[in-house]
Amino acid sequence: MFRILARSARTGIVTDPRPLAPRLQRGFPVIDFRRCTACGDCARACPTGAIQIGAADAASPGPSPGTTRTVSLAYGQCISCRECIPACPEGAVTMGSSFDLVAYTREQLVHRASFDLYPSGRATFRQEESVPGPSLAESATMLAARIRGRFGRSLHVRQVDAGSCNGCELEIAATTNPVFDLERFGIHFVASPRHADLLLVTGPVTRNMEIALRRTLEATPEPRVVVAVGACGCSGGIFGEGTYAALGGVDRVVPVDVYIPGCPPPPQAILAGLFVAMGIREARSRPEAPEAGATSA
Amino acid sequence: MNATIEAVRETLGLPASAISAPRPGELRAHVEPGALPDVADRLVAGLGARLASLFATDERVWNAVYALHQIWLLPRQRTFLRVTSRVDPAHPRFMSIAAKHPSANWFEREVVDTFGLVPVGHPNPTPVSLHDDWPAGEWTLRKDFPDDRQVTRVPGSFHPFRPVTGEGVFHVPVGPVHAGIIEPGHFRFGVAGEPVLYLQLRLFYVHKGTEKRFERLPWRHGIFLAESISGDTAVGHALAFAHAIERLIGCEPPPRARYLRVVLLELERIYNHVSDIGAIATDVAFSVPAAHAQLLRERLVSLQERLFGSRLLRGTVAIGGVKADLEAAGRDELLAHLGRLKADFESLVTLLIDSGSFTDRIDGTGVLSTEAARDLGVTGLAARASGLDEDLRRDHPHDAYDAFGFVVPVEEGGDVRARLMVRAREVEQSIGILRQALGALPDSPLLTPPPAELPAFSAALGWAEAWRGPCLHWVETDAYGALTRVKVTDPSFRNWPGLARAVPGNIIPDFPVINKSFNLSYSGNDR
Repeated sequence: MFRILARSARTGIVTDPRPLAPRLQRGFPVIDFRRCTACGDCARACPTGAIQIGAADAASPGPSPGTTRTVSLAYGQCISCRECIPACPEGAVTMGSSFDLVAYTREQLVHRASFDLYPSGRATFRQEESVPGPSLAESATMLAARIRGRFGRSLHVRQVDAGSCNGCELEIAATTNPVFDLERFGIHFVASPRHADLLLVTGPVTRNMEIALRRTLEATPEPRVVVAVGACGCSGGIFGEGTYAALGGVDRVVPVDVYIPGCPPPPQAILAGLFVAMGIREARSRPEAPEAGATSA
Repeated sequence: MNATIEAVRETLGLPASAISAPRPGELRAHVEPGALPDVADRLVAGLGARLASLFATDERVWNAVYALHQIWLLPRQRTFLRVTSRVDPAHPRFMSIAAKHPSANWFEREVVDTFGLVPVGHPNPTPVSLHDDWPAGEWTLRKDFPDDRQVTRVPGSFHPFRPVTGEGVFHVPVGPVHAGIIEPGHFRFGVAGEPVLYLQLRLFYVHKGTEKRFERLPWRHGIFLAESISGDTAVGHALAFAHAIERLIGCEPPPRARYLRVVLLELERIYNHVSDIGAIATDVAFSVPAAHAQLLRERLVSLQERLFGSRLLRGTVAIGGVKADLEAAGRDELLAHLGRLKADFESLVTLLIDSGSFTDRIDGTGVLSTEAARDLGVTGLAARASGLDEDLRRDHPHDAYDAFGFVVPVEEGGDVRARLMVRAREVEQSIGILRQALGALPDSPLLTPPPAELPAFSAALGWAEAWRGPCLHWVETDAYGALTRVKVTDPSFRNWPGLARAVPGNIIPDFPVINKSFNLSYSGNDR
């Protein structure tokens, strides 16, 4: 007993007072569209299809009709494998410094730009495109109205693994360790959905977990919030969507209020996402570009 | 190699032409379909062989047959042997070996589930991987089954669990959604009050079609799928896949990459073992050491993030080498950290095993006997805790393991304590391996770039002894050099039957700590 006390005294307080401070080395990739030529090398290097080269968009024709191209990066699908960075011949893709992206819709996690395509084959940046659907501020207002300020000081969370590889579970469990200690923020993991305010769901939702996930949601009292965690929970990730075994993102099965991308998102990002769901933090759905002079490695 | 072929040929009584050695450490034997049981008996009795994997392939397009493959580990010959037999599509069945060799039980049932090839003579040929709402006649790994087919659910039919009768005897259902932050699976306990009479497992809730997915993705992207087979074994599975592809194309990673791969795999072993020992303490409500263990783990994974750019070491292994280098400063920092970790970890283990209330819960709990472990094909750390002395790092060295001195800890008890002690002693050995590797990091490039295309019609086996046990990847290409079959064998698939065997006779409150002492992956099992 004395040894246990002595050990605790020797260890002291290890809890990080500011767990959200962005201290990680490498975050999500960022495309500098002004240097991009829409060649598509990054899209071919991307294992999950997070980077897409879009066809002509009839609504906004280029120099001659039907000669517009779009480039989009969907952070919901990004597994931070960094394959796109060396693939880019222009050096337009760099490692961003942010890892803690949070959004309310899948579309908010998409970064898209349009390019004018010339007959010579050259493509030049035209503009960044807005994504359809509500903005982050509109979504925040809608979510706040639905939960009517009931969460904020205390939140009971039921975690549901609907198909994950267990990487997200490791990082969710890490939020309870002495360094992150999420209980100090009034967040508790509970053993039953009947005790829960929020379902923290990882994916991809499998065919064999679809029914269990629906029933878990039904067992959760209103008002309830569903948070999708990880690239697979947000979009199906590397396992894809609509295969015989994996249905895809959590929103293919139950409505999702908050998305936390990453493969897996680190504990800091999961905490940030829970704070957004509680309405005590603003969501940020775009990574910051690397600081000037930062290397692209 | 010739002596090995001769020994195998003699044991099996086959003509010399039936056995070939496509590459070091890997033998191939073609046998007649009817000879499979006899070959298995001879291999086990004559050479002490252990079944490492069993699967089928659909070769109807090229060869007009299915094929059944058994991968055996020959410990004395230090080689793997793949025994292949054709299966006639007009008579889709093969000779089962499961009645005599229970290690083949789940493997053969999975072949029925995914290929529709029936094991003749299997004592219990019921589905193991298919759920009750899966219709008959849909074989997912056959080539004519598209990976995006939407299969309608069959209504009704609740799973027929084994009934229990008697006064005070009843079922306790648990899952698939569990009370903690863990993966989904259904456990059905038949209990008489507190003591468990038997445990039935219902897994494959997180089946993601991973093996089919490998056939769809470009082979270079397969390494990212391999990292997601079981998130806690990202390095182990990435290495097994990379080894398979490298052996297929004859690509040798540079020396520095081979050393760094050892560093990555041992770091993965340490963070998982430390975390599991803490989780065993959690499950007996001994919270101070549990919190200390999670602190040690967190400090290590955050250092991994700084040194390698990923907390769980994802994206560090590449086909042909590694992507993450370690500078001199990082190497010194890691060595210093390991020194502190070793001291902290040793005092943590001492604290645990000196506590009578803790050892009271782990001594004699969840015993898996040596015989049961051997017969069921249990592997990895669970096997070593049940007295089976096997470790691929020593017996079939991959990467740079043949350059280091280490011992393989083996415990005889087969209980929770034995599995805890194997972990504790392996952490000590891993730190020793890391010190040797970091002290002698060769200077070389990090990558031998692989060719743009894989050779056509070839197959290779890759393996890695990850923290839980051996990860095996067998890959095969078609006429265009695309991956046409990837068989993934996670140690969990071989160890779940061992867990089901270790639980009966214990009381239900001891189930969590027994389960945690194995800490099997649901995702790795279900794929």
